[in-house]
Amino acid sequence: MKEKILNLKEQAIKEIRQSNSEKDLNDIRVKYLGKKGELTLILKGMGTLLPEERPAVGSLVNEVREKIETELKLKTNDFKEQELQNKLKNENIDITLPSKRTKLGSIHPITQIIEDVKEIFLGMGYEIADGPEIELAKYNFDKLNTPEDHPARDIQDTFYITEDILLRSQTSPIQARVMETKQPPIKIICPGAVYRSDSVDATHSPVFHQVEGLVVDKNISMADLKGTLEMFAKKCLGEKTKIRFRPHHFPFTEPSAEADVSCFVCGGKGCRVCKGEGWIELLGCGMVHPKVLINCGIDPNEYTGFAFGFGVERIAMAKFGIDDLRLLYENDIRFLKQF
Amino acid sequence: MKASIEWLEEYSDIDVNSAELGDILTMTGSKVETINETGENIKNVVVGKICFIEKHPDADKLVITQVDVGNEKIQIVTGARNINVGDVVPVAKEGAILPDGKIIKKGKLRGVDSCGMMCSIGELGLTKADFPEQIEDGIMILGEKYEKDLGKNIVDVLDIRESIIDFEITPNRQDCFSIEGIGREVAVSLNKEFKNPRKNLNNINIKKVEQIEGLSAKIKDPDLCYRYIARVVKNVKIGESPDWMKKRLKACGIRSINNIVDITNYVMLELGQPMHAFDINSIKSKEIIVRRAKLGEEITTLDGIKRKLDEDMLVIADSQKPIAIAGVMGGENSEIEDNTKTVVFESAVFYGGSIRKTSRKLALRTEASTRYEKGLSQENALRAVNRAVELVKLLQIGEEVEEIIDEYPTKQETAKIELNSEKINKLLGLNVPKQEMMSILKKLEMTIVEENGKTYIIPPFFRQDIEQLADLAEEILRFYGYDKLESTLVKANTTIGLKNKEQKIEDKIRSVMINNGLSEIYTFSFTNYNELKKLCLNDDNELILQAIKVQNPLNEDYTIMRTTTVPSMLQILSNNFNKKNEEVRLFDISRKYKNVNNKIEKEELPEEDIVLTIGMYGDNIDFFRLKGIVENVLEISELNKYDIIKEKNNSIYHPGICANLKVGNDIFATFGEVHPKVIMNYGINQKVYIAEININKITKYAKVNKKYQPIPKFPALERDIAIVVDENVEVGTIEKIIEKKSNKMLEELKLFDVYRSDKLGNNKKSVAYNLKFRIKDRTLKDEEVNTVMKNILEQLEKELNAELRK
Repeated sequence: MKEKILNLKEQAIKEIRQSNSEKDLNDIRVKYLGKKGELTLILKGMGTLLPEERPAVGSLVNEVREKIETELKLKTNDFKEQELQNKLKNENIDITLPSKRTKLGSIHPITQIIEDVKEIFLGMGYEIADGPEIELAKYNFDKLNTPEDHPARDIQDTFYITEDILLRSQTSPIQARVMETKQPPIKIICPGAVYRSDSVDATHSPVFHQVEGLVVDKNISMADLKGTLEMFAKKCLGEKTKIRFRPHHFPFTEPSAEADVSCFVCGGKGCRVCKGEGWIELLGCGMVHPKVLINCGIDPNEYTGFAFGFGVERIAMAKFGIDDLRLLYENDIRFLKQF
Repeated sequence: MKASIEWLEEYSDIDVNSAELGDILTMTGSKVETINETGENIKNVVVGKICFIEKHPDADKLVITQVDVGNEKIQIVTGARNINVGDVVPVAKEGAILPDGKIIKKGKLRGVDSCGMMCSIGELGLTKADFPEQIEDGIMILGEKYEKDLGKNIVDVLDIRESIIDFEITPNRQDCFSIEGIGREVAVSLNKEFKNPRKNLNNINIKKVEQIEGLSAKIKDPDLCYRYIARVVKNVKIGESPDWMKKRLKACGIRSINNIVDITNYVMLELGQPMHAFDINSIKSKEIIVRRAKLGEEITTLDGIKRKLDEDMLVIADSQKPIAIAGVMGGENSEIEDNTKTVVFESAVFYGGSIRKTSRKLALRTEASTRYEKGLSQENALRAVNRAVELVKLLQIGEEVEEIIDEYPTKQETAKIELNSEKINKLLGLNVPKQEMMSILKKLEMTIVEENGKTYIIPPFFRQDIEQLADLAEEILRFYGYDKLESTLVKANTTIGLKNKEQKIEDKIRSVMINNGLSEIYTFSFTNYNELKKLCLNDDNELILQAIKVQNPLNEDYTIMRTTTVPSMLQILSNNFNKKNEEVRLFDISRKYKNVNNKIEKEELPEEDIVLTIGMYGDNIDFFRLKGIVENVLEISELNKYDIIKEKNNSIYHPGICANLKVGNDIFATFGEVHPKVIMNYGINQKVYIAEININKITKYAKVNKKYQPIPKFPALERDIAIVVDENVEVGTIEKIIEKKSNKMLEELKLFDVYRSDKLGNNKKSVAYNLKFRIKDRTLKDEEVNTVMKNILEQLEKELNAELRK
């Protein structure tokens, strides 16, 4: 009897291992372990055995049954694994086919420069101030030490709405408005559109953008101005950028300076962008004129300050290598998508 | 302001070349615009004499010449026609370099050796203005007097070596609109002595009189004329000026007229004070009156143009009529003629603002007006008139009358500023010793006074721009060196840099835009009425009525400030369409301007709103794509509560495909398909979708107060419902009713089908929803939800005549 059971086991295992499909395995399961299976039949025929033989045979039968079941499971897993492998093999794709997505749009170069500038100055504790584009002459000129008879007020340079209302020709009126409403410490930058009566060409536009900065507090010095602009130039144009101050004149600052930066294209050796000079004129700046402070209700004996301002388009053009300002306002999608 | 090195050398030794000088002066505040050098770039061109000319054997148009160049004779083949034996000419020898960079080499012309070239004026970089007697298309013929110079360098012989620097003078430095002023800057910048050759011009002792040779002068409007000086020279011989004077005038860009006019221009260039010369006999009654013009008065100026004057303009008049527009230009009627015998030199100072206005009104800008409008020194006027008389004597062209008329109602003010070196150093962030400060200021001819232990600075008469400590600081810094400024960071009170709510919303909107594939554009804020008409607006539309006109527009396209951003967007879409760009999605964050309540007329500022404008066309674009983007904008901005209302009467949009978004009655956004008529006006052959969203209003209505809501613990109950309604019923209306009747149990409402068929009938549609009910504190019972569903259905039936779909 024992031998018969063991033979059965051998035979079953052999059949399982040689089987070719899950269906074969199922047949084998029925053949040995089914209701009328061979092993089941042996169990059913236990009655013919001597009572003392029954436990040994019983446990052998169970052992064999477990063994067969384990084998069946192993082989089933084999088949499943194989099936999965086949499936995976068939599911191979060309991963270089195009993706499904909405292609990203783009941020205009002018905004990109303004955002860079904002980030640098926010990091240094500046607030961002804003003001009207249609502005009172009082703020655009008078308070900034540019009285009625000053050449800068010329109708040839500035767009007027009425005698006293104009399109701001600089973002400086924002500075005047802030100084008038706030006591120092003041640290602001003012980005925005400005208007000047220039015809459109490769380097001019009647509408363009400026960022101006203003700091007013006790003990603010021109060295602070230079340090601040140097920091700005390095962060905005590259760590190797150097800055140079030249004397200049603006009605609202004294002393005034024009600041050049070492050419960020050639590094100062001289190239087409810097016209061989190695320097690019970047901005105007200076110490806030005492008269401006007084006009805005700040005591120049107690406080000093500096101010600076630059054109965004110029920087955008130099930084991105754009050779015609008109491209910035034509907004051809093939241009915009490059940024 | 142009200045030749030769003239500047009268004021200072110059031991650097012009390029170096330019760099140095730029760093001390006189910015160099261009440097123009003549003669410097001519090498090995000498004076030669033609000894022999013969025909070229093989070329009809060429001749072979033998030219004596001093130590040798050279053979030159030329095609020039204007040469004869004996002519003295400039000869470029082998190896010569000409101003255009051309190098002269030995060569053969039709087989005959040619060892150089005879030059025309153009080839030497000269013009007919330099040598009017020369022709342009032939060899320069020098004349017999140069025969003694054979072999000598042409540059030396003709004295054509000249370096001219053109400076950009800032408006505060009227003193630098003169050679003297620039000369002073040169001396101080190079650390040389300022030679001050015109030092004594204001110390000349002459008798002040009321009348000279019968001439009188009166200032009637002293608010516009601060000083008026006249001197007279007699027995004048009008003629040409000497070469040295002509050359200096030309270097500064001024044409020679005659000796008297040239003297006035020369003095202006030299000292910065414009002058005028009258023929005394052209002054009626010999009476000069400085007064405002009368309305309707006219004058023909020296340029031959008749000009209408008004009461804001100052004139120099005689007893009858204006004879000059003060500070701008003289009149033809008092011009110096060839037979003028007695000349009146005028040297006056006028109020700069008035001269500027007059010059603008007349569109007449002159060397004089450019100087006057900056405000000149009254003290300098006296020097100038004395210099003019001195020059007449020097040129021996007339006799001085040792008298002067000097009307001087408004004395020049002199500032006195305490030199607080500590304050200056603090302002500059430097440590300049006081002694060094004083030494710089002294070189700039400032007077230093010690009083009660304090040091005071009195600026010289020509530096009216120096008014206070900050001005002294700049002067000190200019010559101590802008390059010595240190770099420090602000050591002030801590401030916090933060973006405000609106700035943050703008940032978020930009990110939503690019995630939806939109590209940002920048547009001009100008537009014009025609552009607004393209939007098919009625004449009484507020977009037209509230437009703000620009007084002095650049051109007729830019006459008003835009009241809507739509035309700018359509224009850009149209440009892209014309360039065959398919599927274009754009956005713009910019302003519109509205004259609400006639604020402009009350001299108040108009309204400015920041608007997000979206514009799109292309195959994948439809109303609902646009609506989705708009919803994303509102979601990112945390504006959750608003109504969407159909808009049928906005002429810009398709009457059936346009929506307004409102909070209460306030419309904060409009979007939809652009009206086909409008699209046609922009030449776009495709459906275009536009949204206008007011960012100021979004900021106002956005509620940023996020609070955590617990994740529901109890299960939801779901129901599906399909109802049949009339075609014109908006799903929004159905949804509002469902929400209202759901007894606050509705968690989610999902539209999953809109269906139309013949069976449903004409003008009917079936709308199917999935409703999810849940409350947060317990499990809902079926019966509760059934009751709610019943109520919803009843209400839908009642309000919309809806039927449950069977």
